[in-house]
Amino acid sequence: MNNYNNFEVKDWIDHPGFRKWVYRGEQDSFWVSVLENTPSQTENIEQAIDILRMVRGELDNISDEELASRKSKLLGYISQEGQVRSWWRGRWFQAAAILLLTLGFGGYYWKHFTKTPYNAVLSRLENTTIIEVINNNEKVKLVTLPDGSSVILKKNARISYPDEFSADKREVVMQGEAFFEVQKNPDKPFFIYSGEMLTKVTGTSFSIKANATEKQVQLVVKTGVVEISVNNAVNKTKTNQLTLNPNQLVTLNRENNQFEKRNVTEPVLINLPIESQYFTFKKTPVKDVFKALELAYGVNINFDMQVTSKCNITARLGDEPIREKLEMICEVLNARFEMKNNTISVYSNGCEK
Amino acid sequence: MKQKEYLHDTYLSERWLQFCAGDKTAFGDLVDHNFTSLYHYGTRFSPDKGLIKDCIQDLFLEIWEKREKLDHIISIKPYLFQSLRNNLIARLKKQSRFSNLSADEEQVSNDSTPELKWITDETEALNNSRLVNGIELLPKRQREALYLKYYEDLSHEEIAAVMGLQRQAVANYLHYGIQKLREYWKYKTILLAMIIDFML
Repeated sequence: MNNYNNFEVKDWIDHPGFRKWVYRGEQDSFWVSVLENTPSQTENIEQAIDILRMVRGELDNISDEELASRKSKLLGYISQEGQVRSWWRGRWFQAAAILLLTLGFGGYYWKHFTKTPYNAVLSRLENTTIIEVINNNEKVKLVTLPDGSSVILKKNARISYPDEFSADKREVVMQGEAFFEVQKNPDKPFFIYSGEMLTKVTGTSFSIKANATEKQVQLVVKTGVVEISVNNAVNKTKTNQLTLNPNQLVTLNRENNQFEKRNVTEPVLINLPIESQYFTFKKTPVKDVFKALELAYGVNINFDMQVTSKCNITARLGDEPIREKLEMICEVLNARFEMKNNTISVYSNGCEK
Repeated sequence: MKQKEYLHDTYLSERWLQFCAGDKTAFGDLVDHNFTSLYHYGTRFSPDKGLIKDCIQDLFLEIWEKREKLDHIISIKPYLFQSLRNNLIARLKKQSRFSNLSADEEQVSNDSTPELKWITDETEALNNSRLVNGIELLPKRQREALYLKYYEDLSHEEIAAVMGLQRQAVANYLHYGIQKLREYWKYKTILLAMIIDFML
């Protein structure tokens, strides 16, 4: 195993077994242990992984359903040989156009790294575009979901979600470490698939740690109630369910699918300031409020410091997504805001005093 | 591991021969095994998902029709890739109003053919909607060779056959491709460090 010490980036890239791990998640525990045991190679390995991912690029997934339907169509054509040529050209083209699925590029990667859950979600999300966001940077990345919920991704965390949630539920797939603030909506429960763990909430905030290379999935609740279970796609026989309250942390062992629940004094799991931040402001200058939001969500807030120099905010902001927090602040400031990607512009006429 | 792979390969070539003999379930297996990777390969040429799937569909029907003449083929995947590549490029060319050069002229130079121009235009359109990624700085053929080598695990010879190149050309593409990506990676890392520095 120690012969990896003299490896160079090119050696990693050329190693078929290593590539199988990077691209298809094969022999995961072996490669994880190589990573752990050869710290001198960490940078080379990281570079090799990055380059291999660049080479692969984004891959659009084809759902199992679509594949099955295409196969049966093909089998249908060939059993009517003779007239095959005459009619499939026109008809098939139309059918293909209707069937056209635009799935997120990460589909393939997910399929192999999270094994089944991704498919479990995709099967119910036909005809919607799946968006995947990956945070490759050190800095946290805010993702605002179609329902307004905020997700803060740490480095290497990724989330996939449809451009429009279905009528009766909201579903996302995630991997890595992330903090969620889910928009309250009891009629449309929010489901998160993270490895073997399925999390159901209606409107709460919590952190999830679901790294592909770790043997466990963890979740800690900041506010509200969270329901978790073992993803059924993985384990059909056992239904293992648990309800969690604030300051409770759960660990799911991926190997035996057992949960372990315990109380914690602070809901800190992934070392983000927002996990323990409660946004209580008392006559706080607006620039400090914005600073706190910038730090917590990893966004940029543009505002006129001069105009708002006299504005103070007294508010207790809780676990609502950033959009709602901004709405409340703007209400106080008599301002309006615009959010484009992760840059927020606040337009205020200032506060009189 | 190696053993299993080997068995898998023999199984597949056995199924291929059964398919050549007219076995429909073997044909179904062939579709199952290859549709997705053909599709992923196809997306290297065009962002038009419908068109790619259509071409794959055509390809399978085509090989079914001439199945009896295909039992000499040993490298199944490269054969399918090559066929899809030809069909797709032909199709893309037909769609293009500007390109009416003959196939012979196309062979003359590898890097400025209408085929490539088409691929370039098409992928450019696709890339504009994406994050800037090092791979997009490379010529399309270099990217394609890298993809076939590292993602699809094809040998230099197989890549040469799929792309209609000399073996040496493939080796060059791969060599310079990786080199450029490494340079890009270093550049990106430095830039990132600077940005973080700047923010702190």
